[in-house]
Amino acid sequence: MFSVLKRIRQVYLVLSAGLLLPNVLLADANYDALQAQVENLSAQLEEVQKILARSEQGQAEQASARTEEIAALKKDIDVAAEWRTPNSLIHLAGYTDVGYVNGDNDDGSFNVGMFSPIFHFQYRDIVLFESELEFELSPDGETEIGLEYLTLDYFLNDYVTLVGGLFLSPIGQFRQNLHPSWINKLPSAPPGFGHDGAAPTSDVGLQLRGAFPLGGMRSNYAVYVGNGPELNSVFEDGEFELEGIEAEGFGADRDGEKVFGGRFAILPVSSLEIGVSGATGKATVTGLEDEDTGDISEIEGETARDYDVIGADFTWTRKDLSIRGEYVQSKIGETATGLTASEGGEWTSWYTQAAWRFPSTKIEAVLRYTDFDSPHASHDRQQWVLGLNYLITNNFIAKGAYEFNDGIEGSIANSDRLILQLAYGF
Amino acid sequence: MSTRLYSPIILRLARYAMLPMLAIGMVSIAMAADYPEPGDFASGSRVWAENCNRCHNVRDPRDLRDDQWITAMFHMRIRAGLTGRETRDILTFLQASNTVIAADSKLTALATEQATESTYSGAEIYAQTCVACHGADGTGALPGVPNFSHADGPLGKSNEILHQNILLGYQSPGSPMAMPPKGGNPALTRADIDLVLQYLREEFAQE
Repeated sequence: MFSVLKRIRQVYLVLSAGLLLPNVLLADANYDALQAQVENLSAQLEEVQKILARSEQGQAEQASARTEEIAALKKDIDVAAEWRTPNSLIHLAGYTDVGYVNGDNDDGSFNVGMFSPIFHFQYRDIVLFESELEFELSPDGETEIGLEYLTLDYFLNDYVTLVGGLFLSPIGQFRQNLHPSWINKLPSAPPGFGHDGAAPTSDVGLQLRGAFPLGGMRSNYAVYVGNGPELNSVFEDGEFELEGIEAEGFGADRDGEKVFGGRFAILPVSSLEIGVSGATGKATVTGLEDEDTGDISEIEGETARDYDVIGADFTWTRKDLSIRGEYVQSKIGETATGLTASEGGEWTSWYTQAAWRFPSTKIEAVLRYTDFDSPHASHDRQQWVLGLNYLITNNFIAKGAYEFNDGIEGSIANSDRLILQLAYGF
Repeated sequence: MSTRLYSPIILRLARYAMLPMLAIGMVSIAMAADYPEPGDFASGSRVWAENCNRCHNVRDPRDLRDDQWITAMFHMRIRAGLTGRETRDILTFLQASNTVIAADSKLTALATEQATESTYSGAEIYAQTCVACHGADGTGALPGVPNFSHADGPLGKSNEILHQNILLGYQSPGSPMAMPPKGGNPALTRADIDLVLQYLREEFAQE
């Protein structure tokens, strides 16, 4: 019995082994495949983790970059805002011109007309300091420097500004608004409206100016008190006579006599401005001109004379056409006392000018007539000027003009001139 | 004997008129506006077009930066006889009109995509933004501004081109100054431009 059981167990073992062996062999093969799959998945997982890590790092870097960019942009905006409205403002403007002049009695010369920088320093809307210098090249090569104006402008309210210092004369329009070469549509000033002419150029003192609505119209005004002009006298033909009015602004009032004046203008319609102006006071001879050399020596103690100026002006513009005109008369009274006692004198000038822009072009034609009379016949002239301009830009202009001057035969006032000019306002 | 050459009464009155005016000015100082108080764009464009050309060729708004225009305008307030309000209005117009927009900028794309309905009519938009330079009759209020009523004028172009010219600004041949982007009015939308173009064709185009 025991041996039978033993035999059965042996058979069972043999059969079991026989049955299991293929399974074992098969299990080994599955295991290898699974292991390879796990290893593959593990590698893929590792790759995914690396990609994820790189992505997170990239996002962090991008976020950081955006933050930096935003900070930089914000700084740029802040800087731009500072430029937009600081309390203190500095601005440099001005104009310059170069040209060529050929008169009847000369061979023609190139010239540097003027370099006129204008400095602006402003504190909020309270005060503006402005000053224009003039650099000019004289015929002998020397550089002459002048102070055209220097003012402190105190903005009192929307309608009144107090102006103090050396200011352009508010008599008429040419001196205070039109004389810069990039604005003047012709390359020369009308006779009598330049320096030493009928119109005062500047004064040193105080001025109130501004604008206000007048019913349905607009108006503007200027009133001033200043040191006033000084006079030159010359001894000719056995007697003294007034040579000219020096009305270019003096830093001292040597005769102690102030001049009061101003201008008032209305604009009944926006295209038309009509102005009247005047000044009154005293002026005294302080310079004695040598008849032969033209040199001027100072003289003191002369009697103050009456000084009166009247003026009127208008401007009308419509599309491509602008027409303007101006009249000014300066009178000096007589005196019977003093070394230079003499008759008085009158300096009168008026001009009218038309400018027309050819439609849809940069070409402009200009025509001006001026009549200037003074106590000296050799200075008197009637002048026609025909000009043609090319507006390279609105502030850079090429000008050509021909002056027909009619004065005393042989005098410079009778010499016709061709003038070419390039003017730039900046 | 010295002679009084003009009416002494009038001239003496003129002398002493300065004193009360000075007093008025000093008393009124508290009325000075805060700085910088914004002005009105439409009024500024009108006053600019009416005044500047009286003495000189109008300057392109792009000639100066915003801060430079502040000082330039305060200088011109004195020189040209402008009130404070007129000065601020013109300043607002110039500061809005000196912006340069690049054709390929994102801002331009955004502006172009603004297809919302306009709250104004074409006539109102023209009156607010365009009339100062182009004039009520479309023939141009300033030298160099093209005439809409000419057969070979700007309205001979397609709406697409005109829309782009208004959006980005445009310098007409023969004109020394360019029209600023959106006519200088940054608030102008695409719908506004479409309406004003329609108005231009209805009012000024020659058949």
